[in-house]
Amino acid sequence: MKTPTAEVWRKYMDAETFDRIREMDSVAQMWAYCVSEYAQETAITDQKPYTYAELDEEVARMRTAFADLKKGDRVGILIPNSYLFVRTFLAVTTAGLTAVILPAGLDEKAVYGCCMKFGIKRLMYAPELKDKADAASKLPGAPEMLSADPMPAEKTDAAKVEGKDPCVIMFTGGTTGKSKGALLSNAAVMQGTVNGCYGYKQVFNQRYLLILPLSHVFGLIRNLMTSLYTGSDLFICRDNKDMFRDIATFKPTILVMVPALAEIALNLSAKFGRNMLGEDLKTIICGAAPVAPYLVEAYHQKGIALLPGYGLTESANLVSGNPDSINRSDSVGIMFPNQEYRIEDGELWLKGTNIFTGYIGEEEEAFTEDGWFKTGDLARVDEDGFLYITGRIKEIIVLPNGENVSPAEVEARFNALDFVQDSQVFEDQNEQGKPILALEIVPRQALLATKGAEDAKSYMMQELEKVNRSLQGYQQVNRIVIREQDFERSPSMKIVRYKK
Amino acid sequence: MKREEIIEKLKEILVQADERMSDAIRNCELDSDLRTDLGLTSVGMLYTVIVIEETFGIRFENVGMNDFATLGDVVNYLEAHMNQ
Repeated sequence: MKTPTAEVWRKYMDAETFDRIREMDSVAQMWAYCVSEYAQETAITDQKPYTYAELDEEVARMRTAFADLKKGDRVGILIPNSYLFVRTFLAVTTAGLTAVILPAGLDEKAVYGCCMKFGIKRLMYAPELKDKADAASKLPGAPEMLSADPMPAEKTDAAKVEGKDPCVIMFTGGTTGKSKGALLSNAAVMQGTVNGCYGYKQVFNQRYLLILPLSHVFGLIRNLMTSLYTGSDLFICRDNKDMFRDIATFKPTILVMVPALAEIALNLSAKFGRNMLGEDLKTIICGAAPVAPYLVEAYHQKGIALLPGYGLTESANLVSGNPDSINRSDSVGIMFPNQEYRIEDGELWLKGTNIFTGYIGEEEEAFTEDGWFKTGDLARVDEDGFLYITGRIKEIIVLPNGENVSPAEVEARFNALDFVQDSQVFEDQNEQGKPILALEIVPRQALLATKGAEDAKSYMMQELEKVNRSLQGYQQVNRIVIREQDFERSPSMKIVRYKK
Repeated sequence: MKREEIIEKLKEILVQADERMSDAIRNCELDSDLRTDLGLTSVGMLYTVIVIEETFGIRFENVGMNDFATLGDVVNYLEAHMNQ
């Protein structure tokens, strides 16, 4: 079934705003449009403001650093949220190259692994990540790695880029739980960018704050790209713990955030007796994890529209957005234009301009024979066309803060300990009913035999906690259990995963 | 502020970060692990950092909550930085 055309959104928006929205084919086309429309407006605020014209000047110089690369070549970007990221990303994509966004927290081995797996021709890194890049560049066959900071003096024109040309490779947990790279075309990225404009009265010339990582589609597309497309000013928050200080200074009008942060903001406002989100905030775009309906109501009382949405990395972020959240707070909204959907055995399947091209370097087939992408999410659509996500069938764990945890990836880290025979990471609840990440391991009996049972247990626990602390914050487990018996096994001896 | 007061205030903040863990937090020891014993998630960490900075009037500079394993580690950091 086809999703509604853009016209369905008209009634939720100011007429002038709605009529300004136009679809575009490529980031290069969008950027040229932005520079012609908003040259003297501020595009990015990161320590200081940069206008669209200033950013364009530097993007043109930066493209010269890629003059020796061929159209479609892949350029890795290992840069945390910053003006430098934005400049590099725009230079890469408007030069007709494919950006591979690496999360800045990856260690050198993972950086190297990504370079090899995704065929990265050149890696651009932030100066503060030099040590990591240097270490990765010494490994066999590693590509050239350059600091993204120095800029050539010469300028290079943007390339001719079409919608079908590849634009960016983003990390995702995929539908089976193992991290992989999803390739998005220019048309997909632009559809996601334009989708971000639908559903609220004022969209152009806003003030945004960037809190989400740009290595996540919600940060890259809804936060950065839609902000640029609409001539808005994007303030880059360098450290999430400073976000409320930044909000007080910058006074954003729109925030793009995960539900857990929206909840923290409410709690802090109550605790400190002041509005932590500033007086100018009108809209919160909330997604990447299920949004509790009470948040919609609580913000409504403060005069702020909290609009839940639904999306995936594989759909260039936005599949749907809810312009009527106050009346349907449990819905993720109306599906955006240029998509087709069907619901098979309760699972949402998608096709459309915004859907990715495929996983890179994976054998797994991403699509059905007739081209549908199976989202792994259970869904229903009501008689007015509003979408509801009712559950998940894939292994990936989505935490309340929107982080996706791949159990397989975390388990691999624990399995590297010699005494771990098997492990399982799963979502559980603690005694107080709160969702937590839990780990159970089955130890190798041979190791237990060499030590007294109690010694072995305390040694194992210490080692497991050490590994736990070395994981990225969101991957750390909150409970560790050393099992005395094996996991339940399927007839093919695979571990039967917990369903809790 | 005395060490005992720091510990009490910190426990109070941790309980606010997740009231459902209040029993575990009130009865915990300095060597209690923030994640596995007190169930602190990355969101709870963020809340805790923001409120600590506001309550104790300090800034966490060049250090993240990931650098702290136990309650005692945070107490030691606060004690050292408040007395500077």
